[in-house]
Amino acid sequence: MSQFLVAVGFGLATASVVALAAVAVSLQVSVTNFINFAYGDFMTFGAYIAWSATRHGINLVPAIILGGIATGLLGVLANILVFRPFMRQGVRPVTLLIAGVGLSFIVQNALTVIWGAEPVRFNVTLGNSLHVGPFLLTPGDLVMFGTSVTLLVLLHVMLAYTKFGKALRATSNNSDLAKACGIDSERVVSITWFLAGLLTAVAGVGLVLQESTLDPTTGFTELFVIFGAVILGGIGRPYGAMLGALAIGLLTEISGAYLNAAYKTSIAFGVVIVLLLFRPQGLFATKGKIS
Amino acid sequence: MVYYLTDLLVLGCINSIMVVGLNLQYGYTGLLNFAYYTYVAIGAYVAAVTTMGRTAMAGGGTYILGWTLPWYVGLLIGGVVAAILGAVVFGFTVRRLRSDYLAIVTVSAAFIFWNIINTYEPLFNGATGLYHVPNIISTSTTRYGFIMLALSAGILAIFVWGSRRIFRSPFGRLLRSMREDEAVTAAFGRTSWQPQLWIFMIGCFIAGIAGGLFVFYITAWSPYAFLPLESFILLAALIVGGAGNYWGALLGAFVLIEGLAELSRFLPSFGNGADVGAIRAIVIGFVLILMLRYRRGGLIPERWLHWYGPPAKPVLPRARFAAARRAR
Repeated sequence: MSQFLVAVGFGLATASVVALAAVAVSLQVSVTNFINFAYGDFMTFGAYIAWSATRHGINLVPAIILGGIATGLLGVLANILVFRPFMRQGVRPVTLLIAGVGLSFIVQNALTVIWGAEPVRFNVTLGNSLHVGPFLLTPGDLVMFGTSVTLLVLLHVMLAYTKFGKALRATSNNSDLAKACGIDSERVVSITWFLAGLLTAVAGVGLVLQESTLDPTTGFTELFVIFGAVILGGIGRPYGAMLGALAIGLLTEISGAYLNAAYKTSIAFGVVIVLLLFRPQGLFATKGKIS
Repeated sequence: MVYYLTDLLVLGCINSIMVVGLNLQYGYTGLLNFAYYTYVAIGAYVAAVTTMGRTAMAGGGTYILGWTLPWYVGLLIGGVVAAILGAVVFGFTVRRLRSDYLAIVTVSAAFIFWNIINTYEPLFNGATGLYHVPNIISTSTTRYGFIMLALSAGILAIFVWGSRRIFRSPFGRLLRSMREDEAVTAAFGRTSWQPQLWIFMIGCFIAGIAGGLFVFYITAWSPYAFLPLESFILLAALIVGGAGNYWGALLGAFVLIEGLAELSRFLPSFGNGADVGAIRAIVIGFVLILMLRYRRGGLIPERWLHWYGPPAKPVLPRARFAAARRAR
């Protein structure tokens, strides 16, 4: 039983990281209506920027903020240079998907050229594991959990109560109608890319702190775990993605405690496949954005 | 020099076989299979374990079967197993899912598959992989290159001829019409998914054969030979060369895969060794995006047989909206 509870604790820690990235992906999909395959590499990019900043003597928190802003700008740039021209041409979703793969090639390998393929580590100590109730967590996990919850609450406040949040929800619901109401949807899309990049970068740093090493393929492998959470919650539904992340986090960690840990991510991928086959609208959603 | 050239040509032919197979799936039929290289790997593994016997690997190692069949039988079995696996995957996924979901499922499946092969040693010797796979004929290295060149070029010619036949046949026409608009095709009474299943299996069979040839040529195979990246490179080669056109597929394989790999040898070396491959991948990414943007048909676009007349420019609802907005 205690093993189970410890695994639940790990699951919560994993979920707090996955939730940030999944919400970011879901937010972007809800507004732009296609899946960006380069997200994992955005995550790696943010983590590398933060890592590089800490190496130049900047503290971890400002470094993460720096990484977040850089990744947000990368997202905006990707939208303007790559995706928006395609959207204007009115291409099929497949083309956008393949363009995303091309972008992923570029980002991932640019990181390899700049920082090398060797795994690197953050020079921070997470502290020793603590017994928090029945769980076994590091202070770093707790900080990550707190950060994640804070960011998600902030995001909720923004979506629910600000004018921009309203515009975003309107654009996501019906982009043409939103335009007709005078909402500058291109601006909304740009800001969404920025926000998504920001959240992704924070998630990237959290992931690296948990897994302890960072290399240019870290994010790409994690991408499909994130897709799992996104799909579980119903594609394009940020709130569903949070629950999806919780489910994926618990599932991978608890199964990892009882099976060979090497199969941990395979469990997440298996969930993705089974869900897409039998319930593509997601577990919680009544109707998905893309169906 | 001769050795270098034959090596280049053999690898070019094997890559071309893979791209020709992918062309049947993506180019002719529009089935986006991001896990194509997994079938290549299946072909390679099966061809290896059915021909290499139990004693080939010096350090022992564990793998299934360990038969000593003749190489051509092993090659065929590899292709058939890949095709059967393709049929199973098709049955579960392709019939049910839209293109982008399909892509996620195929990549996830490829990751799981990779993970199992890498972790579970009794199957194909885990992360170490198989090595010392015997040559199909024992001879000198140079001469073996010539023999493999003749073999792979011959098999490539057969597959190109076959895909030409398929393209011009009513079967190929049906596939293209399903690719362009499934609803219209259904309106003409063609609602069956079987043509897509057949072409998917043929594509996977070709992938398996290519994998078998590959393993007989390089004599080793391990999980690090089929990272998910490889499927993307093949897809990029097909799109740059020209999806739907077998000449385009050949051109893409030779230019994007072989040409770039060879050109990058002449780059001045700087940084660490990984850089050459990384720069190559960056170039592939840029070329892919630029081609999609400015020349979506590829270098040699799909040919329209003359009795159809030139293709009417497809007008999607969103494109029409965009055009109206531009005109305004």
